[in-house]
Amino acid sequence: MAYSFDFSSISSGFDTLWQGLAITFLIALCANVIGVIAGFVIGLLSQARSRLVRAPVSAFVEFFRCTPALVQVVWFFYCVPIIFNVFLTPVTMGVLVISLNLSAFNAEAYRAGIQSVPREQYDAGIALGLSPLQRAIYIVLPHAFRSAYPVLVTNGISALQQTSLLSVVAIQDLMYRGKELASDTYRPLEVFTTVGLLYLAVSLAVAQILRGVERRRALHYSV
Amino acid sequence: MKFNFLFLLGYAHPLLAGLALTVKLTIASSVAGVVLGFIASLLRTYGRTAVRALAGAYVEVFRGTPLLVQLFWFFFCLPLLLHVDISVEVASFVALSLYMGAITCETFRGSLSLIGREEMDACVALGLGRMTRIFYIVLPLTFVRAMPPLLSNVVSLFKESALVSALGMADLMFVGQNIANTSARPVEVLTSTALIYFVVAFPLTRCVGGIERRVLRRF
Repeated sequence: MAYSFDFSSISSGFDTLWQGLAITFLIALCANVIGVIAGFVIGLLSQARSRLVRAPVSAFVEFFRCTPALVQVVWFFYCVPIIFNVFLTPVTMGVLVISLNLSAFNAEAYRAGIQSVPREQYDAGIALGLSPLQRAIYIVLPHAFRSAYPVLVTNGISALQQTSLLSVVAIQDLMYRGKELASDTYRPLEVFTTVGLLYLAVSLAVAQILRGVERRRALHYSV
Repeated sequence: MKFNFLFLLGYAHPLLAGLALTVKLTIASSVAGVVLGFIASLLRTYGRTAVRALAGAYVEVFRGTPLLVQLFWFFFCLPLLLHVDISVEVASFVALSLYMGAITCETFRGSLSLIGREEMDACVALGLGRMTRIFYIVLPLTFVRAMPPLLSNVVSLFKESALVSALGMADLMFVGQNIANTSARPVEVLTSTALIYFVVAFPLTRCVGGIERRVLRRF
């Protein structure tokens, strides 16, 4: 007997899935904005001359790269309120975890770019009397960003997918809404297939757009 | 708030059993995934247009959807389609292997592109058959070059495998969460769980760098 598909459960639950997708997208977007900026700062700090700066920064990066994202999510939701006595809204906390995780990975992506800045350009910056902050923003950042861009895109898209982990701690993202709908309608096959396709569509679309930007930018700068 | 990590010693056995399951699952899915990824990369590079498109679609689907969705799909949906019971172990293993296959396919593709035209020409000149060429020339060359990224893929699979706890597999994450709930001491238990993952994953990531330097020196 073949399975008889019934996608009507999806069409009636489409609003819930849509709301879930909006939350997923919002969290992914905020996490990426923070992750791209904080990743650069962490990448710079991990190259600092002082060991006192380097050690905690690399501990941060290694911790977030060497433990499962799910553990980080659960740890932040259960332990941060107890240890630090701070109570954030679930979505804020979700953005925080995902963006910290993303920053650690982005810092690694920036590192090669930061190291590839030629010595002469630093010297030129010093000769021109630029402050260290100005040197970081006007000399290092453009270099690092351009060479890290493809990896930043890949990391950004996997952050989008990692937001699905937040469903475990009851943030009402796409995955959470999907689970809810599947158990309400007893139609897991249709629901989870649709949820998967939605994630796939968003990931592919975002990847296309960002790679298109890369090509254009490449044209723009190739003088 | 006072923290007491010592009470965890009483739970050492279940935590280690959880870790053992995580490691077993990682190794099994890594082996299956690497084989699958190698085949997929060959098909994606040397196959006909239709085959290439098919292999490409496989990779995009498994890389473009969250692993959590894939796990749920294989556990809740596949049994409905096939009308067979699929145990949680099998569903986890299949989903993780297919995911790993898609990830390693991209790794192999990168190192396949490094095989020189001359090496292929030499094979043709020697009159080697297709299978001989794949097993004696392509496989060793790509495998050695892909070794460091493959190892990082295994490390990320080790971390991602924590998601099987959402299906109820008693892996390290599941055991950790259970103990956290029953003992009402989430800080100590979850921190220790994270540290156990770290202690396994961190040395492996160091190995990646070491192997990378060796491979680079030789090739």
